[in-house]
Amino acid sequence: MDPSAVLGQLLVGLSRAMILFIVSAGLSLVLGVLRVPNIFHGSLYMIGAFVAWTVAEVLRDRAAGLWVALLVAPAITATVGLVVERTLLSRLYHREHLMLILFTFGVMLILNDLVKLAWGPTYRSLVPPPELQGSTLVLGVALPRFHLVLFVAGPVVAAALWWFAHRTRVGKIARAAAVDREMVAVLGIDVSRVFALAFVVGCFLAGLGGALVAPTTSITLGMDHALLIESFLIVIIGGLGNLWGALAGSLLFGVTQSVGLLIWPQFAVAFPYALTVAILLVRPAGLLRSVW
Amino acid sequence: MVRTLWALLAAAALAAGILSGMGAAGPARLERNIKVGIVDTYSGPPAVFGNDALNGFRLALSEINRDGIHGARIEFVTRDEKFSPEIGLSMARELVLQERVDLLVGTINSATALAISAFAREQRVPFIVWISKSEAITGARGHRYVFSTTENTAMAGKALAEAMVRKGYTRFWIGAEDYEYGHAVTNSFWRFMKRLRPEAQLLGQTWWRTGEPDLVPYLTQILQARPQAAFFGTGGAGMANVLRTMKVIGFAERVPSAIHTAIDVTVLRPLGTAAPEGVFGTTDYLFYYPDTPANRKFVQDFQAAYRDPPGFPAFHGYITAHFIAEAYRKAGSLDRERFINALEGLRIRTPVGEVEMRTCDHQAMLPLFFGVTRRDPRFPFLVAGDLVTIPGRDAMPTCEDIRRARERAQ
Repeated sequence: MDPSAVLGQLLVGLSRAMILFIVSAGLSLVLGVLRVPNIFHGSLYMIGAFVAWTVAEVLRDRAAGLWVALLVAPAITATVGLVVERTLLSRLYHREHLMLILFTFGVMLILNDLVKLAWGPTYRSLVPPPELQGSTLVLGVALPRFHLVLFVAGPVVAAALWWFAHRTRVGKIARAAAVDREMVAVLGIDVSRVFALAFVVGCFLAGLGGALVAPTTSITLGMDHALLIESFLIVIIGGLGNLWGALAGSLLFGVTQSVGLLIWPQFAVAFPYALTVAILLVRPAGLLRSVW
Repeated sequence: MVRTLWALLAAAALAAGILSGMGAAGPARLERNIKVGIVDTYSGPPAVFGNDALNGFRLALSEINRDGIHGARIEFVTRDEKFSPEIGLSMARELVLQERVDLLVGTINSATALAISAFAREQRVPFIVWISKSEAITGARGHRYVFSTTENTAMAGKALAEAMVRKGYTRFWIGAEDYEYGHAVTNSFWRFMKRLRPEAQLLGQTWWRTGEPDLVPYLTQILQARPQAAFFGTGGAGMANVLRTMKVIGFAERVPSAIHTAIDVTVLRPLGTAAPEGVFGTTDYLFYYPDTPANRKFVQDFQAAYRDPPGFPAFHGYITAHFIAEAYRKAGSLDRERFINALEGLRIRTPVGEVEMRTCDHQAMLPLFFGVTRRDPRFPFLVAGDLVTIPGRDAMPTCEDIRRARERAQ
């Protein structure tokens, strides 16, 4: 096999892994801290993409349109998350997981229908600003210039999450609550606020992922399905609730898929799933320590 | 002289007899309005196509019902199948058994179309397919009660294979979306390619899931394999992703690529300038080509009614209504069997010229247009250039092909 081809595929696989990481890190955070399998995470990702499109359309003639969109879209999904958490979800934390799944599933159906009402059934295209159009040759591979933004965004999000979890008081409490919720409450800390914040950050990441993917793909109803399934798989193979597990899972997922294409292009879609099965056979709890 | 006189008298008597006979029966009058039951997708992403087809159908009805058909009008009811064959089939059942429609029309979903087709055969109700492109509908699984007023994967595959062979390409890589249409159109393309050029080589195939958001790894891999040309089997939002990715990584400049419907307005308009130039494609309707009075009038009327120019579904909806109206006019009766007899071999004038409903397979003999995507200062989106019209007769499988496919299927 041509080594430059492998390097090229690695590179395009990595850029895909960045999106997967940003979205699945949010999912993992919510799973880890709140123990809530958030089924409407994918819907927020889709809303992020649609909002980014709308903002970019409104600011079509401004150079900063896309950058504003990258801020507004996650802000809106974070707000949706906050409202849902404060009004409904916070009343359900003591219920069993099945109830939580049903609840978040219900919210998903509502959000997806709202998206249909707001944006209609047609798909949309967000054209990136001229300086980010086209591609740059890296290692003989035409890498879309916009993917360079992803290469920056992924590590920035990882660093920010690390800082949040390890350097802020609220992050430390969130980590502690993930391990032993009762103990944290006994210490007199208002866990509810911490939960709300973790949930909002998770929803913010879903929206950010959607906004980042918007210029590279068709923004359409149903774009949430594939990503939701992949994110859950990534979170599972990484170790439930473990952010670094989400990072490892995303990298493995993205790269297996792109390099798998060189090995057996006809069945490349199966590679990441085969990998998931293999990992779970060897390490049923995921690659890294699960907080569950 | 006397003999001539006798002959004249006889002829006159005969003519009078015929006239009086006709007078006794009266000109055919339909005892009630014609009721069409439409099953299609009116929710979710495919609704764009369903609504466009319905608009074309409505526009045609406004023309048809002005004069009526033997004193009757065409009425219709719609049902949303939500892109599900199960729902579609139960809707069709309800329309036939409860609403008592005279015939069924639909749908965008090939699986639904095939399910309704089997039901229509069992109930002996005519069913006209107007958007879904599976060649099985009028091919292997065709029968007396099903008709198609849309081009299909067999026609698309054959037309594109011929066009690419003419350009000298025979060593292909196939990239496709893993769903019914993706498989059907690639199979058909490759079957006709091998028939035309037995030495043609399939260098490899790449398949991706429907809804795959990032096609860069897939297209990069195909680029790295350096095929002489590529064929893509995809449609809808997936097609938009392929074209967008092609443009970004400069695919079409390096590997000549062919995709059915890539030059279609419904595909290129939403993409704006994010679509690549130089992609070969086929479609069976373009609002700007052929630039004939008939097409111009259709586009004008459609835009007056619905603002946007008609897409290919609108064209299909429009000709479906006219096929129905003409067939009832010819049959002079609401009888389903007579309607089918009248529709077989029927020719109507359409915006793209005269189209015949082929008797052997009930497939409308639509011409296909082959062209290449390019910019045009008149439009904010890419259009098709270097257009060539491929007559329906040349793009369609022969009646013999159809007969064999149906025998094999049994």
